[in-house]
Amino acid sequence: MDSDLQAQIAFYLTGQRSASQLETIAGRALHPALFAAYRDLTRLRYDYPLVLVEAHDDGEFVAPLSGLVDAILEKIAKGADGERIRKHVLRLEQEIRAGLAAGAGGSFSELWDAAAKSLIKSDKRQAESLSRARANLKADGRVLDCDAALPYQLFGHAWRITQLQRAHAFSGNIDRLVLKLSDILKADFLNSDAGKSAENLRSSFGSGPMDNFDFAAMSRILTKSAPKASLTASRRQRIEQLLKVLQSQKFFPAGAAGGTPYSFAFDSCGGALEAYCERLPQAIELAKAVAIGELEIKGEYSEAKHEALFASFGANGLDASELVLFPDYLVRINAEAMSGAEQHAMNEILSADLPIKVLVQSDDVIEASSLPNGHLAFALRSKQLASMALGLSSVFVLQSPASSLYQLRGQIQRGLDFAGPALFSIFSGASAAGSLPPYLISAAALESRVFPAYSFDPSAGSDWASRFSLAANPQADLDWPLGKFVYEDEAHQTVAQQLPFTLIDFVACDPRYARHFAMVPRARWSDTLKPVEQVIAGDGRGQLNTVPCLIMVDGENRLQKLIVDEKLIREARRCRAMWNSLQELGGIHNSHAERLLASEKKSWEAIVKAAASSAVPVAATTAAAPAEKAIAAAPAAAEAEPERSPDEAYIESARCSTCNECVQLNGKMFAYDGNKQAYIADVNAGTYAQLVEAAENCQVSIIHPGKPRNAKEPGLEELVKRAEAFL
Amino acid sequence: MKSSATDCLLELYDEQHELEDYQSGVPRWCTGCGDNAILTAVQRLCRDEALRPEKTVFVSGIGCSSRFPHYMKTYGLHTLHGRALPIAEGVKMARPDLTVFVNTGDGDCCSIGAAHWIHAIRYNMNLTVFLHDNQIYGLTKKQASPTSPIGTKSNTTPRGSYLDALNPLSVTLGVANVSFVAQAVDWIPESLFEIVKAAYHHKGFSFVRILQRCPEWLPKSLDPWMHDPDRIQLLHHENALHLSAGLSKVYKNQLEHDPLDMNRAREIASSEHICPVGILYQNKDVPRYEETRHSNVLRTNDLVRKGFEAELDKYTV
Repeated sequence: MDSDLQAQIAFYLTGQRSASQLETIAGRALHPALFAAYRDLTRLRYDYPLVLVEAHDDGEFVAPLSGLVDAILEKIAKGADGERIRKHVLRLEQEIRAGLAAGAGGSFSELWDAAAKSLIKSDKRQAESLSRARANLKADGRVLDCDAALPYQLFGHAWRITQLQRAHAFSGNIDRLVLKLSDILKADFLNSDAGKSAENLRSSFGSGPMDNFDFAAMSRILTKSAPKASLTASRRQRIEQLLKVLQSQKFFPAGAAGGTPYSFAFDSCGGALEAYCERLPQAIELAKAVAIGELEIKGEYSEAKHEALFASFGANGLDASELVLFPDYLVRINAEAMSGAEQHAMNEILSADLPIKVLVQSDDVIEASSLPNGHLAFALRSKQLASMALGLSSVFVLQSPASSLYQLRGQIQRGLDFAGPALFSIFSGASAAGSLPPYLISAAALESRVFPAYSFDPSAGSDWASRFSLAANPQADLDWPLGKFVYEDEAHQTVAQQLPFTLIDFVACDPRYARHFAMVPRARWSDTLKPVEQVIAGDGRGQLNTVPCLIMVDGENRLQKLIVDEKLIREARRCRAMWNSLQELGGIHNSHAERLLASEKKSWEAIVKAAASSAVPVAATTAAAPAEKAIAAAPAAAEAEPERSPDEAYIESARCSTCNECVQLNGKMFAYDGNKQAYIADVNAGTYAQLVEAAENCQVSIIHPGKPRNAKEPGLEELVKRAEAFL
Repeated sequence: MKSSATDCLLELYDEQHELEDYQSGVPRWCTGCGDNAILTAVQRLCRDEALRPEKTVFVSGIGCSSRFPHYMKTYGLHTLHGRALPIAEGVKMARPDLTVFVNTGDGDCCSIGAAHWIHAIRYNMNLTVFLHDNQIYGLTKKQASPTSPIGTKSNTTPRGSYLDALNPLSVTLGVANVSFVAQAVDWIPESLFEIVKAAYHHKGFSFVRILQRCPEWLPKSLDPWMHDPDRIQLLHHENALHLSAGLSKVYKNQLEHDPLDMNRAREIASSEHICPVGILYQNKDVPRYEETRHSNVLRTNDLVRKGFEAELDKYTV
């Protein structure tokens, strides 16, 4: 074994670098190969910065800056000067991005104006373009770049908009109940003696001259003629109490009577939990008032029936569909600052199905473990929270790095609308370590499967396939996503290759872990450097004649090869195993399904083989099926009708058209059933002559008189002849 | 599915009604009149659907059939000749929570009320309309109506009527936004009830023409159809009515008809020798006027006062 390989293997196994053969990467500003193209984000058009819009045309709470600019350009960049306008507006957009990166802040319109001010100084045509574009700027809101403050602001904004819509619907409902309940009291007053008094009648006629009208006479007439019914004392008291509860509620902003509404945004789970418990009695009281109010205005409230029910209303708390009326609580916390007590409070919230939405923000997912000897346990803290919540089955869970938040805005909205608890575990990418912008760090966490994006929505269906989604992850069916890497070799030839983006690439961006990498000087590159993904894919150490190697690009855009120590390889394998588990949950390479498929395939092949050897048609085995189907499809047998003797008197009641002929002839002999169709109630309650007459009068000829029962009845011979037509 | 525990508990207390709870007074219709069969079918519907009497309104115009609201123990409006439909529309517009039925006759709807009829179809408000078509003015003792068959001798047409009868089905099917058209006959109670039920469940303007015998003034007019089951054609379809074994046994002339097929519906409506019974046309997707024009604004006293003042200001000199 030559000394180079020996040094490399020694580094791989121990992390000890031989200074003469391997170089350190500390301070070299290396980038993962696939990141080489993304050095200056301010010159790129992508999802960020985001604008937290107040009222967007499509009802969304957030829009990318580039999307809003594109919408403006679509409207105005037309015709001969379209290209010029496009160029000027895009230049402005770039200026806004640069300003934000330099620390500027504010709303879209403010940033626009500031950027435009510096651009239009020298160019009149640019001023004209920007002024036209500015006139079409319809959506406005705070502009945020991808940084540590983003998750806090974005979720706060989305939650506020959701609560505003809910408050609007709730206030509308409360106003309606208050109006209708007040109407009941008002109608009762108008119906009372006081309401019908001459004074009240006069005051209700407005301010015109009414001297010729005798209100006293009108009062007398009304008092005499109108019904006397009035509200019972208990109903009046109940309605007054309902009005009091509805008008003094503090859950949503209301009129003057409501006072200051409660606040629902918290910085700790403990605080939110305490507030929820404290306000629960008022919430139950209000939900009860809404339910009783609805019954009262429909006139359906019955003291005998409902009193007992409402006395115990809310004894088991409120269920999710009742809580959906009320505002949701929002808790925004940082994973790093989460104490044991806080974690306990969060568990309580999530497991008790409380209407509390928790945002847990992580700024660092590869922080050093507290265990000695450089133990690695990347991304475990925040992952634990989300996977624990998944286990509860009734919690909405969204895990995502900040870079995917715009893409997952629909899921965020679903989580906020979800009737129950929601946990949003977000990685901001804004760790203090490293020089890359947070957007790239968080995107790299997603690409490297260190912090995969997934959502679990219990309201989307009853199975994992409907509830769980990995859709936001790139190339979710692979262990590591592949990207195209193009470079020029020493012979100035373009080389293109597919490179995976693994946990090792992600860690390589972080200077805290520089000791796990060693750079191989170009002169010492050899075939012993094996691509890192191939080493990760292997099971163990194997033959030690190669070492894992990672391609990176340095500050001067030169390609460099690094070797990696075994600790990181082990960590990458663990990361892949965790990703594989998620894939299985998401239905990708599901081991149960694959096993079942293999066994089904095997048995199918066996059947085909057997069929081929015996030449018996396989279809014969299913020959019985069509016959069964035919039996099932056969028309239902005609309804059994009782066999009637021609001697018996009867009516085909189902065909009776309720024309009253027979019942008017003899109301004792003929009667109506529950569907108001005639039958013979008592054949002895009348004469045979009446039976025959009824049969003759029957509009639909369904009365059958049968044979006479009294042989002494006069004129029988003629009656029997007349009855023959109806037997 | 009920959404909350409260809803489920309240459901337990829903009231059940009997047929008698919807009966009011003894009908003054002649003995043998087909209106009785319609009244029974509608009372059965109210009972089976547990319609709350105080939430149900019957609106009628003038004529024999228009006495209908008097015999229902619900709210009712016996209005002006030909004006049942606009009044029913007003009721529905102001109180969309009410179930509104309209009972109108061939004179009330197809003659003096024809203009309202056309526009009510076009508005497609959620009303259930029964056209009691006895093909004669009965209340005023036998004058020809627009649906009287040609040659009908009456007090106004002693030598027989000169014009072909107007076909209410074809007319209705020809108006924009039509959403439900059916025909029933009073002498087949089972199918009458099923059609009345389907009309009630249709969300929109459900128009049911009910051929109805007048034993007093046109006693034999409908006999050819009543006494020959083969001249009754029962319409059925998986998306419309299903025929019971009992009906199928008596009425062998059956036709499978897709209620969305407008052209076929128009052909069926034009049959003269055969009387089709069932749903000719149904389209659940036609927008309803009261929903299109629905406003969430609460009608508070202030709002009503402002509205009045704005209207009155138009006439201020």
